[in-house]
Amino acid sequence: MRPPKSLLCLALSILPTAVLAVFADEAGVVDYHYELLGLPKPDTTFFYRPRKEDKASLLYTLSDLGVVGAVNPGTGVPVWRQVLSSGSDSLSNGLLRGVDGDGVVVSALGKTVSAWDAISGRLKWQSKFSGQVRDLEVMESAIVSAEAKDVLALYEDGNKGILRRLTGNGGDLKWEFTDEASGVPFQISTSPKDVFVISLHAAGAGYNLKVTTLDPVTGKKVDEYTLSSKSDIFDIEDILLVGASSAAPILAWTDQAKQEVKVNILGKKAVQNLALREADGKLTKVTLHAPHLPQSQPHFLVFSQSASANRADVYHVDLKSNAITKAYELPKVGGTGTISTSSQDGNVFFTRMTQDEAILVSSASHGVLGRWPLKIDESHGSLLHAASEVVTRSTNLFAVRSAVATSNEDWVMIRNGAESWTRVEGLSGAIVADWAELPGEEQLAATLKAEAQTNPLASYLHRWQRHIQELEYLPAYLTELPKRVMSSIIPVESVTSDELVRDNFGFHKMVIVATQRGRLYGLNAGNRGKVVWSAKAYDIPDDSKWDVKGIWVDNVKGLVNVRGASGEYVLVKALTGQIIEKTSPGSWPPVTSSVVIDSASGKWFLPIGVDGNPGDIPSAWAPKDVLVVQGSNGEVRGLKYMEDGANSVPTAAWTFQPTGEKIINVVAKPAHDPVASIGRVLGDRTVLYKYLNPNTILVTAISETGSSLSMYLLDSVSGDILYSTSHSGVDTKQPITSILTENWFAYSMFGDSAPGTAEDALPLSKGYQLVVTELFESELANDRGPLGSLSNTSSLEPLDIPNAEPAIPHAVSQTFLIPEAISHMSVSETKQGITTRQLLCTLPTTNSIIGILYHIINPRRPVGRDPTPAEMEEGLFRYTPFIDFDPKMILTHKLNVIGIKGVITSPALLESTSLVFAYGIDIFGTRVVPSMAFDILGKGFNRLNLVATVLALQVGVMVLAPMVRRKQINGRWMTS
Amino acid sequence: MQFSTIFVVLIATPLAVCSRLLVSLPSTAAFPNWNPSALTASTTASLTTISSTYTAPLRSDNTFDFRDVSPGSYLLDVHCSSHVFAPLRVDVSEAGQIESWGTFRGNEWDNKGEVVTVKNLGDLQNLDVKVLGEKSFYVERSGFSPLSLLKNPMILIAGFSMILVFGMPYLMDNMDPEMREEFEARQKTSPLTGGQAAANPLQNFDAAAWLAGSGPKKSELTEKSNVK
Repeated sequence: MRPPKSLLCLALSILPTAVLAVFADEAGVVDYHYELLGLPKPDTTFFYRPRKEDKASLLYTLSDLGVVGAVNPGTGVPVWRQVLSSGSDSLSNGLLRGVDGDGVVVSALGKTVSAWDAISGRLKWQSKFSGQVRDLEVMESAIVSAEAKDVLALYEDGNKGILRRLTGNGGDLKWEFTDEASGVPFQISTSPKDVFVISLHAAGAGYNLKVTTLDPVTGKKVDEYTLSSKSDIFDIEDILLVGASSAAPILAWTDQAKQEVKVNILGKKAVQNLALREADGKLTKVTLHAPHLPQSQPHFLVFSQSASANRADVYHVDLKSNAITKAYELPKVGGTGTISTSSQDGNVFFTRMTQDEAILVSSASHGVLGRWPLKIDESHGSLLHAASEVVTRSTNLFAVRSAVATSNEDWVMIRNGAESWTRVEGLSGAIVADWAELPGEEQLAATLKAEAQTNPLASYLHRWQRHIQELEYLPAYLTELPKRVMSSIIPVESVTSDELVRDNFGFHKMVIVATQRGRLYGLNAGNRGKVVWSAKAYDIPDDSKWDVKGIWVDNVKGLVNVRGASGEYVLVKALTGQIIEKTSPGSWPPVTSSVVIDSASGKWFLPIGVDGNPGDIPSAWAPKDVLVVQGSNGEVRGLKYMEDGANSVPTAAWTFQPTGEKIINVVAKPAHDPVASIGRVLGDRTVLYKYLNPNTILVTAISETGSSLSMYLLDSVSGDILYSTSHSGVDTKQPITSILTENWFAYSMFGDSAPGTAEDALPLSKGYQLVVTELFESELANDRGPLGSLSNTSSLEPLDIPNAEPAIPHAVSQTFLIPEAISHMSVSETKQGITTRQLLCTLPTTNSIIGILYHIINPRRPVGRDPTPAEMEEGLFRYTPFIDFDPKMILTHKLNVIGIKGVITSPALLESTSLVFAYGIDIFGTRVVPSMAFDILGKGFNRLNLVATVLALQVGVMVLAPMVRRKQINGRWMTS
Repeated sequence: MQFSTIFVVLIATPLAVCSRLLVSLPSTAAFPNWNPSALTASTTASLTTISSTYTAPLRSDNTFDFRDVSPGSYLLDVHCSSHVFAPLRVDVSEAGQIESWGTFRGNEWDNKGEVVTVKNLGDLQNLDVKVLGEKSFYVERSGFSPLSLLKNPMILIAGFSMILVFGMPYLMDNMDPEMREEFEARQKTSPLTGGQAAANPLQNFDAAAWLAGSGPKKSELTEKSNVK
């Protein structure tokens, strides 16, 4: 029996919103989001009061990923974040300064200087100049004025240093000073009277320091002197500090042996040497800590660290005689530690944190103002650097809170020695991720199998034994029973436990993430993405990234394989993070990509070397299928392994290189891509058979000179082109993404009305486009095309006829205009493939991820006419060129998920549900149900109501039963 | 791939006048709850055309500042996580003059909408964007309420017939005896209930027999009615 058509159409028109939307009561319960910033850098992390009159301060940082953010120091939740784009310059060169009293933080990265409102995170002004910003300083003036403070930015342009003074209210250029002499511009420092520019000038192998004094009003050079430091400074890292309190700004560096600190008070030509004392062995690191506010006392602290201990000396600068004298010292303590400076009015406080305690001292005297035992979780590792804020409760009562970056890449807030919150900032900057299955209750299945295979008596005895053994779980089961009964009546949260076991729904899985800092994380997707373990695979220098070429979780062995570009690989246990095997970079040939292959000896992770050459493989491990690789010129090659003695040798079966075009992307179908139905049933009960060739790849190529995009669908066995199309007027600098799954593929680009297209061409629109193409075996319904009823086909020799053309699919394609760019595409995966697929697109401009249902982008939507009743029944509705991104389709709802690089999906045990995990700067995870949750009772199912209804019926029956009985008896016996 | 000369000229002339465009959010109440200062800091605007894109973050004075915009025909979009804005077409002429119109996505680019006034403020030009509405991300779950049950037409019909069944005898009892007689007499003759002898054919409907395909014979039917 057919349902009434009108009803069906009504249902379908309601369907999109009902299916896709995030339920208000599920937002933040089903999904999880790590709002990350990146690792805070020591010189760009500070406490700052956004309102002058208000005592409350926020914690500001510019991270190694170029994210500026303000964090609430009480809760650890970001107040606002802004991603700085850097262009060519390294993201780690960013600078951030707070403008004291103005409520503005100024950032600089690449060629851009930006001022941000400290409370709202909105832009105040932005200025761009040629060159790269090397240093940024706020121009402190002696006179208190209502005007916003100006900003000094030191640019390196070519070989010259250019100092620019920008106005504080608009970022306009006030004056600029160009240092004609070639040198490396290094830093700026200001005093109420002068501006100093410090630059490095090569002298032999080392550098001399040149200090140029400028007039702050005009920007004219006043003085210039050179400090001979060529025997000490060989690298910018050798300079300890420039600046400090602007009352007496200093320039300090150490000699190579780290035996003394050399200090120059800027403006004076003399250099004073301060001796360093060893702390249990040779010093490894010397840092100098000084206040930055102009009204602060001219005190500084030299912090000396060796491998096993650390100590500190506090020095005072006499403003009159310019003499530097040692005031006191902080004794040697074993282990690592941090020093942080905080200033309050004129007072300067140093907070010293060692492994066991945190102490607070004033710069003026050695008396300890506060001492707290340090109680932090050991998993954070050692303390690296800190930013502190001191609050004076009363004259002798102080409180201190410090945001500490630790060696395990956590950012921990320590309030008076106790841990207040932790941000897992190391999780930011993820580059690859993969799902890992949890071990399930497979032992029971194994036992039952073993029992079935032994003789009946033995297995019977064994079963008895097993049952008796299981009795020990009975008390626990009985105590759980009331809870279970209650939970079936009153809806409870889906089980979120720390235990790493499979659940009945298959929602509990692990996600393994590798970050660009060489660290691996294991997250429990079943428990809202909680970090289960983290392990450092490689130590990556600050200015480079770990170039990971692939990650694969071997669920049979429970191992994670991660392969890096320099040939290194690491094997980690998926559940614990224990590193099983690790090779150092360079010990194996470089890798350009890696692929999971199926060989006679099982699945394994094959690295592909330079020029797409995977190399020789022992025959037992050679891939069964054709391997598609990309050569160094971008050409796509199909490799087939031929047995040659004990080894198998890759031989190119085909090569594909469209002339005049550059291949930018090749996508294959997802590894898990089941198809439940081989055809699409039309309204008139005929079937269009899907073209389901598993050996297809989608190649994206752009023209090298012009602005055109070509898409090629290739047969990966024969290399034949099955379908190709070309678009002109495509912006090849904007993201072009594609996906191939089931019997359809989709890609998106920015299209424009290209001038020069043929006169009769359709007038084009300007905007982002999403093209969807669906492939069928034949354009006719109930027809299987050239392949007919063959049960086997070959890509190489279809139709048993030598040299025959391959069976070309019938393609139905449609272009939709979309309001935003798509930077990444992914598709939902379910266990059986019965559920319709949902296209998951990352929208970089609104920092969100959208889930588009296939029936919205179905290319078979009728164009230019209303759908016929048969089409309506199929769920097709009239084509409109523009698809608006309904906010209800946004999976991330109101969350601001920044910097998403990839989205991965995994099927749950429930057919309706697909798990989604997005990574990049932020981490986001959720579950999607593209065809609604048809196999699980949602929160909308009110168990209590059901029970109440049953009870009400029961009462009704109890009341009515006697009445009915009486009436029946009366009916029989009473005559009138 | 062909390229128009205009386009090549466009790229090859870096000396062309660059304009500064200031895009403002409407400050007046476009609709209730509209407060431009409450928009998140992640709001951005973009000017896009082939091969060049300008992006500007929202400033604290509720404007987007595009500096050094080279001549061309741009699509102006405001991307916000809480509100939807109308897209605009912004044309920057070779002389640096800016013109703007509304545009319709999914239509050809030459199909321009309403002209948007561009104010010339010395070295910069200013235009306003229109906010279309607020985004709502969530759907509320339709919970169970007894009132919604009453709205169900089936329940209403059932309730009405219940009243009829229980209320009618009571009414009849209270009726004047003469009137009742008259009423009963009329009921007998009325086509609806009249001819009760010619029983409703469905009354004796044998579903099992019908499903089995052996329809009851006429004689059987009469037999049954006789028995009754």
